[in-house]
Amino acid sequence: MNVIEAAGLGKRYGSTWALRECTLAIPDGHVAALVGPNGAGKTTLLNLAVGLATPTAGTVSVLGGTRPGSPAALDGIAFVAQDAPLHANLSVADTLHLTRNLNRRFDRGYARARLDELGIPLTRKAGKLSGGQQAQLALTLALGRRPRLLVLDEPMASLDPLARHDFMATAMTAMADDGVSVVLSSHVLTELERVADYLVLMSRGSVQVAGEVDDLLASHRVLTGPAAEAGRYAERLGVVHARRGGAQAHLLVRTNGSTDPVPPGWEAHPVSLEELALAYLREPGAASLPGPVRAERTEVSP
Amino acid sequence: MTALTLPAQPGHEASPRPVPWRRMAWITWRQHRLAVAGVVAVLGAVSVYLYITGEQLRHQGFISYGAGPVLSITAVLFQAIPPLIGAFVGAPVLARELETGTFRFTWTQGFGRARWTVATLAPLALAVTIAAAAFGLVFSWSYGPQIIGNPVLSPLAATTFDLHEVTLAGWTLVAFAIGSVAGIAIRRVVPAMFATLVAWSGLAVLTGAFLRRHYQAPLVTSNFTLPDGAWIESQRWAQDGHPVSLSAVDQVLQKIGATVAAPGHLGQLPAAGSQSAAGSQSAPAPGPGSVNPAQYLLHHGITQLTTYQPASRLWPFQWIEGGWLLALSLLLMAAAVWLVLRRAA
Amino acid sequence: MAIGKGISPAGNADASSPGGGGGRGDGAGLPEASTRGPASPIEFRLDPASGVPTYLQLVQQVEHALRLGYLKPGDQLPKVRDVVASLAINPNTVLKAYRELETKGLTAGRPGQGTFIEATLSQVALPELTGLRRSLLGWLATADTAGLDEDGIVALFTSVLRDFHERRGGTGDRRAPASGATEGVA
Repeated sequence: MNVIEAAGLGKRYGSTWALRECTLAIPDGHVAALVGPNGAGKTTLLNLAVGLATPTAGTVSVLGGTRPGSPAALDGIAFVAQDAPLHANLSVADTLHLTRNLNRRFDRGYARARLDELGIPLTRKAGKLSGGQQAQLALTLALGRRPRLLVLDEPMASLDPLARHDFMATAMTAMADDGVSVVLSSHVLTELERVADYLVLMSRGSVQVAGEVDDLLASHRVLTGPAAEAGRYAERLGVVHARRGGAQAHLLVRTNGSTDPVPPGWEAHPVSLEELALAYLREPGAASLPGPVRAERTEVSP
Repeated sequence: MTALTLPAQPGHEASPRPVPWRRMAWITWRQHRLAVAGVVAVLGAVSVYLYITGEQLRHQGFISYGAGPVLSITAVLFQAIPPLIGAFVGAPVLARELETGTFRFTWTQGFGRARWTVATLAPLALAVTIAAAAFGLVFSWSYGPQIIGNPVLSPLAATTFDLHEVTLAGWTLVAFAIGSVAGIAIRRVVPAMFATLVAWSGLAVLTGAFLRRHYQAPLVTSNFTLPDGAWIESQRWAQDGHPVSLSAVDQVLQKIGATVAAPGHLGQLPAAGSQSAAGSQSAPAPGPGSVNPAQYLLHHGITQLTTYQPASRLWPFQWIEGGWLLALSLLLMAAAVWLVLRRAA
Repeated sequence: MAIGKGISPAGNADASSPGGGGGRGDGAGLPEASTRGPASPIEFRLDPASGVPTYLQLVQQVEHALRLGYLKPGDQLPKVRDVVASLAINPNTVLKAYRELETKGLTAGRPGQGTFIEATLSQVALPELTGLRRSLLGWLATADTAGLDEDGIVALFTSVLRDFHERRGGTGDRRAPASGATEGVA
């Protein structure tokens, strides 16, 4: 089952296309990371998936074909928007009560136990909690609904490292215990590298890369060799991004699964997720999507 | 391949039963209790004042009719109650969720945004309507005897017509409904409140100035003496069946030392074409030895035709106005729900 | 070639708390291990800067613990949930590591109970180890004379090791059954 499936999805605000030609199939049982710079369209895509926005073009379905915003989708998806919006003047206990009343299913025991572990007092007003506590409260409310999919929009943008660790630990524990799938967005890739096993790389409203992290890392590598020969191999090797000095060049290539022999005089290195993401972000025309291979630019950068 | 196998999920149905409506009761109360309590407190306090005033009026006896400065000022203040309720209770319902961003939480919960909107607006609409109706009752009891049977002031006049039971409830409900639409359309609390006040005022002015007189066909009379509390719509002069101007009538009257508009012991003849609610009395008081201006005019074939609504139509007019205000309110709140469904993030 | 160093026996504060901020037992002394059930002898740590994939770090730490004697056949590996709670990593990663260990024959999963050590890594006899040390020292001296510095030595060794593995075509770990005779080295 795909937790989020999009076909030609597009969203226009006024005259600007925030998202266009988005085609995706995020499988369940994964932690899918939506990564890209600000303005890439991540929040727009998530809003479309949770039913806060309606598509201008194309289609999107969630949880194996359900329409976003329908009762079944609302029931199975828990969303934490950017900056964890909460009613500031409600106490934590009132917020729990509110969430319980707005949903069919809510595990109050879990929520209270979790808040107790975190040291968040039930009587304090939600607006008076620290940023980390608000994020944890929002996450607790979301997980208390026992969703099938947890959607987080830049959940850790304003959290300190310890709060970030605790936040992810909570989410990952829920995944281990209940099999919740997670989709989260961020513009900082490094903090997601330990957690993400499905990557969606977005830039300027389009999806550049979508796939399992293992497959992506296995199908890309960096070839290091003489700069003079770089041009000769560029076409044949499927170069995504090249960097060269005077004598030496690094080519990040896509191998399409086949293990081509390394050209004589060249070295091959495995590529990290961050390196791969940066390479694609620097090459707006490049893409690595499941399906027909798109033509890649072979422009080399100085 | 690397996916975690999902343990059995607890009861995920294809189309889950909706969350029961009654769950919203606590939520609506908790989130709007200040506003509702405020309305009840203010109206309650003013009701006490009205009760005291009413008692005083009854003990003094009604020595002075006339619009009077006190009633006018009080009436103007009371006219402000419906739009203020609409602005302070109605506008923030949707605008606050949008302004603070909490709609991203509230409208992604299982309850569903359309049902949430209905479950929030309906009880609040009912509450403000009942509160306004109760206040209208107190007002009618308190000032009623001074309004009804008052030869100078018509109960149908715009000064006090909105303040009776049914109309006050209706204007408060429509203000709330305007507020709710303004909230979802404008998405910011203070601008939505302002827009509510402006829109309501425009509607009230248009109704009072143009719409209300058409509820029932007015009566026409050529008597100079009109029934007590009649609400004049128009008056015109005619001589032998042909319209004649006010100045011509004035010239005729000057021969006996009276004028059309002159007040005083020669009697007041209201200016032609006036639509004032006050001063419908036109029976001239003949001075000693002077000619009765009314009979003098009749002798010359000059008559005055007055189009008016009688005071007895107070209640039918209230029901008519209350009726269309109710319909409009329901329409506006339905529009608010529709906009909630349509609006993007 | 940084393999996960710093394997610590269980009993640290991190082992039992799921990353909560409530401040349990941060004070003097090490608190008792979790009373939820028999704790695993080992605790994982991650080195995010090592460049080694997370799951591989976990595999290597288990193997290292086996070599050092922290883990013996019959011991239980940390529960997936506990690893996830303390390290904040994807549970699929832990599962992948445990599957890899199972493929290598080192562990076996018992449904409903957890993952347990089944075998040990082959131990090398002490005289052999001494002999290997001596020849390695000799080689290092030669390399040093040739002008190779420490990083150069490491790079050369890594490259040759990789070639060696490729030519052998396997994981290279030789497994010894738990019940079989092992020439153990403490």
